[in-house]
Amino acid sequence: MTGPSRGPGQHRLFWAALAAPGIIWLALLFIVPFYAILAIAGGQLDLFGNPVAVWNPLHWSSANFTGAWHDVAGASAFVGPILLRTVLYVALASLISLLIAYPAAYFVARFAGRRKALFLILLIAPFWISYMMRMLAWIDLLQTSGYVNKVLSSLHLISQPVDWLGGMWITVVLGLVYGYIPYLILVLYAGLDRIDQALIEAGRDLGLGRVRTFLRVTLPMSRQPILTGMLITVLPMLGDYFTNQLLSGTTGTAMFGNVIDDQLTSSGGVLAGQGAVFSLLFLLVLIAPMIYYVVATNRSSRGAT
Amino acid sequence: MHPREGWTEDRRPELRTRRGFLRQCAAAGLLVGGGSSLLAACSGSTPHAAPPATSSLTSGGIPLPRPNNPVTWPLYQDNPAIASGLTPETNATLRLYNWVAYINPDSLKAFGKKYNCKVEVTTFENMDVALAKLRSGQHLGFDVFFPTVDVMGELVYGKLIQPINHSYISNITQAWSDFTNPFYDGKWHYTVPYTIYTTGIAWRKDHVDENPYAMANPWAMPWQAKYKDKVAILDDARESISLGLMKNGIFDLNTTDPAHISAAGRSLAQLARLTNVHIDNNDYTEVPSGQTWIHHAWSGDIATAASYMPKGVNVDVVGYWFPPDGKGPVGSDTITVLKGAPNPVLAHLFLNYMLDVNNVLTNISFNGYMQPINGITPQRLVSEQLLPPSLTSTAVLPSYFRRGVMELQIPTATNALWEQAWLQAKSS
Repeated sequence: MTGPSRGPGQHRLFWAALAAPGIIWLALLFIVPFYAILAIAGGQLDLFGNPVAVWNPLHWSSANFTGAWHDVAGASAFVGPILLRTVLYVALASLISLLIAYPAAYFVARFAGRRKALFLILLIAPFWISYMMRMLAWIDLLQTSGYVNKVLSSLHLISQPVDWLGGMWITVVLGLVYGYIPYLILVLYAGLDRIDQALIEAGRDLGLGRVRTFLRVTLPMSRQPILTGMLITVLPMLGDYFTNQLLSGTTGTAMFGNVIDDQLTSSGGVLAGQGAVFSLLFLLVLIAPMIYYVVATNRSSRGAT
Repeated sequence: MHPREGWTEDRRPELRTRRGFLRQCAAAGLLVGGGSSLLAACSGSTPHAAPPATSSLTSGGIPLPRPNNPVTWPLYQDNPAIASGLTPETNATLRLYNWVAYINPDSLKAFGKKYNCKVEVTTFENMDVALAKLRSGQHLGFDVFFPTVDVMGELVYGKLIQPINHSYISNITQAWSDFTNPFYDGKWHYTVPYTIYTTGIAWRKDHVDENPYAMANPWAMPWQAKYKDKVAILDDARESISLGLMKNGIFDLNTTDPAHISAAGRSLAQLARLTNVHIDNNDYTEVPSGQTWIHHAWSGDIATAASYMPKGVNVDVVGYWFPPDGKGPVGSDTITVLKGAPNPVLAHLFLNYMLDVNNVLTNISFNGYMQPINGITPQRLVSEQLLPPSLTSTAVLPSYFRRGVMELQIPTATNALWEQAWLQAKSS
């Protein structure tokens, strides 16, 4: 045996010890709440109709699962159209977000020059204000007597005030775009900023024009940031209920998150168990793109080395 | 704010109104403490021991009070009322646990001055959240609680509230006789009455051709395609399914009949298709502002319409319909003293204070909701300028509590049917 050494094994132990608190923290904050949802989903109602979590899996009841199944596929099924609507809204909102965010991020990463810091601060600024406050601000702006209508009518674009908050799908979609676009821009910026300037210059040197350099060099290299950004915005959009709740007052724009919200806030929580089942189903559905992302990231990082 | 109304349920908060502002504050608080209700739900309450059956109508052994099935809740040795003749606590802060914007701050100040104490209000956004918090067993330090009548069983059997020592409540003589021995709390062991209200239909006379008082079935008034985008119903499962029931001619608002319940839900879904119906509890601002022309509404909300009228529009254009024969949804709230209240004597004095006619008038001037106290009549409210003459229909009369229909506690399985029907109507 040699004396005390600082071999790789000890290094690994050291780093593992450093990472441990974070990993334990994450595990607690993910596994415990997840299990709590399971316990409510498999749980029952007490004498007064309040949901009671059942912690022992052997005692779980299937009532909430069959109830949820009836909502999806039974005679009284009603969630199908809502799921479709949710997917459509989110797809549209993501597309609009991407069309706005990509040029913005591209500009800051490539052309902002000395003002880059300023633009970065501007990009981060929305995070200083809570999501809820930003949405509430829109309620004032979008009212029939609000500034949006005033501006539009002063430009003679509309003859009568538009009831933006009266359950219009476009308001909800734009609300989603507005709410989540800062995340997308920031992720895209981080990715685009990392693209080696030399590669772009090489493209130009080899005779590609500006447009073709962008199409052949920059765009393929932004695939990963776009994927990351989409994931970061699409997942919360799919579960969003708050935007809808604030910006629309009608049933015609209800999204899946609203159904779960309504179940969880039902009187006494009689439907909370079913809401828990839906939350779990939702999680299962969302795991698919997550896995795709992980696989794609692995593949591209392996390709890079 | 009305019972069962919660900020989170609101679809369109009004930032510029006083009530709206209070609501935002409640919402901010909600976000901060968002996890607590889940935890409370998870900690779970072990089912309480089944009580001695005192009535035939029960849910899992818990009696369900009805006007024709009055319930006198049991008293427990380990949950006694306070002794008589105690002096009020000194240097105390009386803490109320109440709905948002549901009591006049001036009333609290006046009470504090009279009894040399401070009064603090903590708000909750709905009964479920409030009960979850009280059930959690943590020491909250609240003295006075404002529950709806449909949770009495849970409060009494859970020993969350304490019996009232009547010797402190001399003003009970001022209450309407229907409330000195109410069906939901016989011999008023645990409660004194608070607000009373009806649910009806508010409409804009300057935009809507029909007069509900002349209609054959005014409950069907919202079902008109020509008022698309201008119709709203309350965001409350019991209230709105009840609207569907009454539109269909069913006046048992505690019905357990699945066919009736799902038919009511389908009627609401049809209303949504017909009018793109709004679902919100902002009747008190939307009807005055003209944003909504027909709103399923609470009496106390419309009673305050004058404060929300835009400049130059007279409050006369707002109407409120409630069946003149009194056969419509009517309800009442209560005030109770919590078990373990740090200041039980002050709490009793507060209950007494809120039963005095002059204090009640002060409270109504802010709250809009009436209280069942002798001398509180539509005429009095008009002469005190608390109610415009055109809205005396929002006033609640003693006879309503004999002829009206009430949304009361229903068995758990039935409640699930109601909520399911409402969920489907809302998701149509």
